[in-house]
Amino acid sequence: MTTQQRVRLTVNGVSHEASVDPRTTLADFLRGELALTGTHVGCEHGVCGACTVLLEGRAVRACLMLAVQADGANLMTVEGLEDHGNLHPIQEAFVEEHGLQCGFCTPGFLMTVHELLRKSPDPSDAEIRDALGGQICRCTGYLAILRSVRLAAAKLRDSHVAGSTQHS
Amino acid sequence: MSVEIPKSLKDLPNSSPRWVGRRVKRVEDPHLVTGRTEFIDNVVLPGMLHAAILRSPLAHARITSIDTSQAEKLPGVFAVVTGEDALRWSFPAPTVPEEWGTHCLATDKVRFVGEPVAAVAAVNRYVAEDALELIAVDYDSLPVVADATKAMDPDSPLVIEEKGTNVMLQRVFTWGEVDAAFAYADRVFTEKFRWHRLGANPLETFGVIAQWDPVEQSLTLRASVQAATHFGLGRAAVLGLPSNKVRVVAHPHGGSFGGRGGTRGTDVTALLTRKAGGRPVKWIEDRTEYLTAGGSQSWDRYYEVSLAVKNDGRVTGLDVKLLDDMGANGEGFGAICTAKPLACFTGPYTIPVARYDLTIVATNKLPQSPYRGMGPPPHNCVLEQMMDIAARGLDVDPAELRRKNFIPKDAFPYTIASGNEYDSGDYELVLDKALELADYPQLRRQQAEARAEGRCVGIGVVSAIEPGVFDWNSYSVVGVQGTGVPEGATVGMDIMGKFTIRVGFALEGQGQYTLATQLVADYFNVEFDDITVVYLDTQSAPPAFGPGGSRLGVALSGAVLGACERLKAKLVKVAAGLFQMDPEHVELMDGKLVAKGVAGVEMPLAQVAGTMLARSDLLPPDVDPRPEATYVWTAPGRTEPDEEGRAKSYLTAAQAVHVVMLEVDADTGMVEILRYCAVDDCGTRLNPATVEGQIEGSIAQGVGAALLEEYVYDEEGQILTSSFMDYLLPTINEVPLTEKAFIETPSPFTPLGAKGCGEGAMHTTPAAILSAINDALAPLGVQATEVPASPNRLWTLIRSAQPQPAGD
Repeated sequence: MTTQQRVRLTVNGVSHEASVDPRTTLADFLRGELALTGTHVGCEHGVCGACTVLLEGRAVRACLMLAVQADGANLMTVEGLEDHGNLHPIQEAFVEEHGLQCGFCTPGFLMTVHELLRKSPDPSDAEIRDALGGQICRCTGYLAILRSVRLAAAKLRDSHVAGSTQHS
Repeated sequence: MSVEIPKSLKDLPNSSPRWVGRRVKRVEDPHLVTGRTEFIDNVVLPGMLHAAILRSPLAHARITSIDTSQAEKLPGVFAVVTGEDALRWSFPAPTVPEEWGTHCLATDKVRFVGEPVAAVAAVNRYVAEDALELIAVDYDSLPVVADATKAMDPDSPLVIEEKGTNVMLQRVFTWGEVDAAFAYADRVFTEKFRWHRLGANPLETFGVIAQWDPVEQSLTLRASVQAATHFGLGRAAVLGLPSNKVRVVAHPHGGSFGGRGGTRGTDVTALLTRKAGGRPVKWIEDRTEYLTAGGSQSWDRYYEVSLAVKNDGRVTGLDVKLLDDMGANGEGFGAICTAKPLACFTGPYTIPVARYDLTIVATNKLPQSPYRGMGPPPHNCVLEQMMDIAARGLDVDPAELRRKNFIPKDAFPYTIASGNEYDSGDYELVLDKALELADYPQLRRQQAEARAEGRCVGIGVVSAIEPGVFDWNSYSVVGVQGTGVPEGATVGMDIMGKFTIRVGFALEGQGQYTLATQLVADYFNVEFDDITVVYLDTQSAPPAFGPGGSRLGVALSGAVLGACERLKAKLVKVAAGLFQMDPEHVELMDGKLVAKGVAGVEMPLAQVAGTMLARSDLLPPDVDPRPEATYVWTAPGRTEPDEEGRAKSYLTAAQAVHVVMLEVDADTGMVEILRYCAVDDCGTRLNPATVEGQIEGSIAQGVGAALLEEYVYDEEGQILTSSFMDYLLPTINEVPLTEKAFIETPSPFTPLGAKGCGEGAMHTTPAAILSAINDALAPLGVQATEVPASPNRLWTLIRSAQPQPAGD
């Protein structure tokens, strides 16, 4: 048995502290130790993007990181988007535009879109495709996802114009 | 009790239906977008262990020794199994064709890279994999058969020696006077094609938690599985258990497309839980396991196709010779994909006679599994290339050659040469709409301009049948028995008037719980929030196959509407008793039970249901007091196959025309799709958003099939494509911005006239893209006959082209 290492991090605003086997991936840590099972594992080699989470606001592949590498970090997972059952505008947009079918890849897409729209609130289609080029979806064929992101951008711009600071 | 399933929206007891036929938001989505849906790997059970599987690194070898002693001693390891346990506790897997299977753990030989040899259950997956490294296996290499064209040589190594051959099946089907058609043809066109292995790759791999009960000698399986009932029966057969001692709890899963696999891994996990004394054992297949050893590989084909044609363009005969490399055994049921083409063998055309010369061989590769389309995607692709070859040979526009040969709209129901019956269609209307959507003359002008600039631009116009609502009888030619695929649903009300729909399948992405909700909401005129859909496992569910073969939209609507009809009949009887009238004078309309023609005599549904549940003493004696009903729907009119495999099999025939314009870069062989137009006719669209989602999704998979996806093996049977860095799935940057339109020619045979559409454009897109590529290459005098038409292949073809003399 290897020596355990202590990890402290904040996920969706909640602080956690745990002892981990150093070779535990961040994805397995989130899903197992923290029971945040919304982050999914699709390939475990960083290509499909299903495991994408935000680390200090930047999209990262949780399957390619070790939990110990996230020591001291601020993370957001899909569980951090909703507000007590109320959907985030990005989530609403995906539902309205049917941007999901089986839903397995969806959390990874949502986190990547969250980062995109924060950096670029009115992205062109080319920008959207560039940002999402590293996320695989096998069900939708991506066109509904493209429509969802356009709608999500519009919803977020509207909510900012209206002065709401509830969603960021 | 005979039940009349409504044939159109007008037949629903609702003067203004609000849900069916509309793009409603899905009831499944809130859980999915919040990450709450319980995919199998979310489940944690007390005492649960984790499995890892040791797999053969060689394609063909004898196991001379296996030593698990060090693995068993590793702290955290609770069970280790090998072929010895498989022999003790299991039988070889059921297969298609029959009796081409082996045990779930190798017993004497390994026959493909990745074949399970041993497995470990430990406290977590990391420790389990540590234990695998401590298992010592000695192999004696055997010569490998990795080339299907050599598998029939007399000196070829045999994959399963006891069979005495590598030929799993060899049969020629002759439907009509084929030789005469070719003898009397004005022109005969022949070509060979090679379609390489590819497969489903749902984003979620297979996963299972198996728990053995040593007292009951029973097994509970929680699994991410597509067809739970059949999965359970298969495991019972393998593990030697009675059918009522295997319970399958299917979980919502991340896609399937026919290739979820998992049978062998489940059997191995079942051995582990038994060895661990009944502790639950979880096995989550990782992506490399899936790609190399899972339900991931399909359609490894060598085609030789001939078309008999008259000078006026009529196609008078089709001759297809197929050699299919099935891999090391038949446990993946991939052979079914060589049989389904019978359901649409001659496509949308009136080709009157056909021959199918089918050979399926075993090699030292992964056994094939089904994939979306189940065989017609490559078949349609080669048929459409032949139509294009004929069009070029006759100097006829390819769209007009299709039109000339289409089954006319007044000819339905139409029986094709291979025996299936197409229900309805208006193929010319779909073609015209596609040509209009694409502005076909303008495309040809753009192509001419591009060609004048020296660019390789091509246009493909193809049409294909997309069969729906499968039946087992279409697979009889590969040994599958039986006819009839049932789907059951129970619709019930509680004392407050809320509805529950009980079904026997778990979600995999097609929005079927939403469809069921739409149907009940319109039938009983209630709100979505008044309805809950509940999944029942194999111990409790009505007969259910679930999704597959583009059936569930139709089958589920039949089951739900049938249950609604039966429930209505009960409610009518009860209300009539309360009104003291004859049931014939009472009807359900807009959510109320009303006396026909008598104003003011009516009762809301909830009150009738409440009476049934609370006052069974007031009910007529022959009324069952539960306000619920079950109906099992099966496709009507299916027939037993004759000696040439002809049968009414797939119930519906959706049809599509795709028009594609693309450019091949002569320097790199890369393909850029410039326009993609798809017009389809899948009858009544019960939820247009779902239908469009299936079309867009299947077009993406078709692009992957045509251009990107290929499993590659070397001569030693080593798989070279074992991760997503080598097996390329389309991203958002590879899919075209498809322009879509549709026609709705209802089916006369289905509830509400819908046709199966789940497999959708996978039947058509590979044909369309290859057709456009060949149109692009035609001036160079070369042809792409290998799929995928990868940049390397196209670049090589273009380099090999001889410059054409001017004016040719």
